[in-house]
Amino acid sequence: MKLILDTKKCTGCKICELACSAKHQGVFNPKKAHLKIIDYYTETGREMGFKSCTLCLKCVETCPVEAIAFNEKWLVIDDALCTDCGECVDICPEGVIFLNGEGTAAVPDFCQGNPSCMEWCPHGAIHKEEAAV
Amino acid sequence: MSYLWKVLRINLSTGSVEKEPLNKEWAEKYFGGKGLGIKYLYKELKGGIDPLSAANKFILATGPLTGTIVPCSGKLAIISKSPATGTILDCSIGGHFASQLKFAGYDMLIVEGRAEGPVYLEIDDDKVEIRDANSLWGKGIFETESRLHKEHGVEARVLSIGPAGENLVPIACVGSEYYRQAGRGGIGSVMGSKRLKAVVCSGSKDITVPDMPRLLELVKKAIREDVLTDTNLGVYVDGTPQLIDMSQTTGVLPTRNYQDGVFEGAQKINAAALRELKPQVKACFACALGCGHYTCIKDSVVEGPEYETLALVGSNCGVADLEAIIKFNAECDDLGVDTISAGNVVGFAMEMTERRIRDFGIRFGDIETYLKMPRMIACQEGIGRELSRGVRYLAKTYGGTEFAMEVKGLELPGYDPRGSWGMGLAYATADRGGCHMRAWPIADEAFGKLDPFTIEGKAQLVITGQHYNAIKFSLILCDFWALSLETMSKVISCVLGREVSVADLQKAGERIWNLSRLFNVREGFKAADDSLPARIFKDPLKSGTPAGRVLPRDQFDSMLREYYQLRGWDSNGAPTPEKLKELEM
Repeated sequence: MKLILDTKKCTGCKICELACSAKHQGVFNPKKAHLKIIDYYTETGREMGFKSCTLCLKCVETCPVEAIAFNEKWLVIDDALCTDCGECVDICPEGVIFLNGEGTAAVPDFCQGNPSCMEWCPHGAIHKEEAAV
Repeated sequence: MSYLWKVLRINLSTGSVEKEPLNKEWAEKYFGGKGLGIKYLYKELKGGIDPLSAANKFILATGPLTGTIVPCSGKLAIISKSPATGTILDCSIGGHFASQLKFAGYDMLIVEGRAEGPVYLEIDDDKVEIRDANSLWGKGIFETESRLHKEHGVEARVLSIGPAGENLVPIACVGSEYYRQAGRGGIGSVMGSKRLKAVVCSGSKDITVPDMPRLLELVKKAIREDVLTDTNLGVYVDGTPQLIDMSQTTGVLPTRNYQDGVFEGAQKINAAALRELKPQVKACFACALGCGHYTCIKDSVVEGPEYETLALVGSNCGVADLEAIIKFNAECDDLGVDTISAGNVVGFAMEMTERRIRDFGIRFGDIETYLKMPRMIACQEGIGRELSRGVRYLAKTYGGTEFAMEVKGLELPGYDPRGSWGMGLAYATADRGGCHMRAWPIADEAFGKLDPFTIEGKAQLVITGQHYNAIKFSLILCDFWALSLETMSKVISCVLGREVSVADLQKAGERIWNLSRLFNVREGFKAADDSLPARIFKDPLKSGTPAGRVLPRDQFDSMLREYYQLRGWDSNGAPTPEKLKELEM
């Protein structure tokens, strides 16, 4: 699965990031969201970017204790194995893995198929794509 | 917690950076934003200080809702003593800066003193630095922001001033994210006087609430049923320019320095005309609506133009050319000039020239000269130096007092009170001078069902609006979510984990309004200052429904008297000791 952002519809409100951190971490903090909306002006107009898990699986390959696995749909982490070393955080090219402060890494799992970000987006700008890797 | 209980205090004279606890008792009574900022300023300033001296303070305040998922909670309040009016000044600016300040760990930032040379503040969580800004001084807001993004990353949010603020222009604004402004009262010149070019902020701390699942459920329902309604979505579809048609049909659209309320070129500058130029909508942090209409025409880009700009920079200057208005708007945004005041001073200069009172070399509809004005004002070139000092100064110096469209020295926004009499009282009693953001009775009068040409019931209408907005701007919520006090009570109670009733909110709104009045009373403002330009009392409107109408002086005076009585203020407009006791102040 993947998340796709329709940049024409996205207003940059970041409600998706808040919904994500609220659901998975119980706090409001865009830095603890598994997706990132980048939205700013330059002297020539508006720039937009979107970061979310692309299932590149670099985290799976890098994890020294094999705590992260891919279940053919999304990532799963075995908290009991995770040593909080942060190597997955450093390797993630999208910057959507972080340490949750409770001894384990937080990896994106697309809310197990029903992404909260998608549900909260007020303008229907986030879509999911059931693409194969 | 939704409060972080921390104030960051920076003194630019001494270079000291202190972190102190937020005053809990004040936070309970004044909540945040406007109310709490004014409380701090009132306590910390002495009466009579020069707003452009080191003694003034520049306060950035978040509210208890900032950083949460509560919709329309993304704005920042900026509080200071106004260089344009000498009154209290609180401004509101959209974008994402407020949330970053909160995520960095601060409820409020207080800037004091004056730096020796240009500086900017870098705030990144606990790291706070005063940095050299010599290379940014003289640059526009757009370039300043782009350069700071290069240095600190695009996720950091920036507040900055342009040349207008640096040059201490009394109509200078503060800008953020290119096209958002804290526009009024010369707040940009307060930053300039402190030699503070910009504040850059990014944060990574958690905001917590006592019952997250309950808040999410409440907010989800509110977004669906109360925010994304057809009425509210008007701002998403067309934005504030939808008001052009409403003002035009009710005859209150300022035209050629308020000589008329109907503009022959209105259909060229209305929402329908703008629709074709808009590729996208941008929202502030946590806003489910989105009102920022990113607009492109040829080589000019702007977010807007908003209604107030279309009215003051457009019809009020006799300009019906959208390309010219957008250019003027973008120049003002970059140079850091408030478009409402700029449209007023230019319109005033045009009328002065046409009436041959004083030749400023600019006439209604003269687009070529008009487009030079923002730069001349910001950079103090030619007649720009005079115009930059505002309509009140121009009238005192050169004449034309009868048609100087200002209250307490702040130029009027885009709704002619002759066609909506309650609006006259709203302007006359607004805490920062001629402002439409304190109460907006025109929604019920000319734009609604009430008779606009009577003073009956208008004092109470204005009071209710002032209290509602005072508490709303303290929590902080945006105008564009027209929520009930009941909904407000549910949301804030859930976020704070304590019961805040509708009555508590109403009382806090009244308390905040009385506090801003106390500030102005201390500065020497009296009943005579709660007045309107002579044109409103004397020159009848020419066209449309209000043709032939003025707001008669005696009617205005009775409305004002009733307003003081209902407020429990004395005949000079000062809160009585009984009223202050009732409000636990």
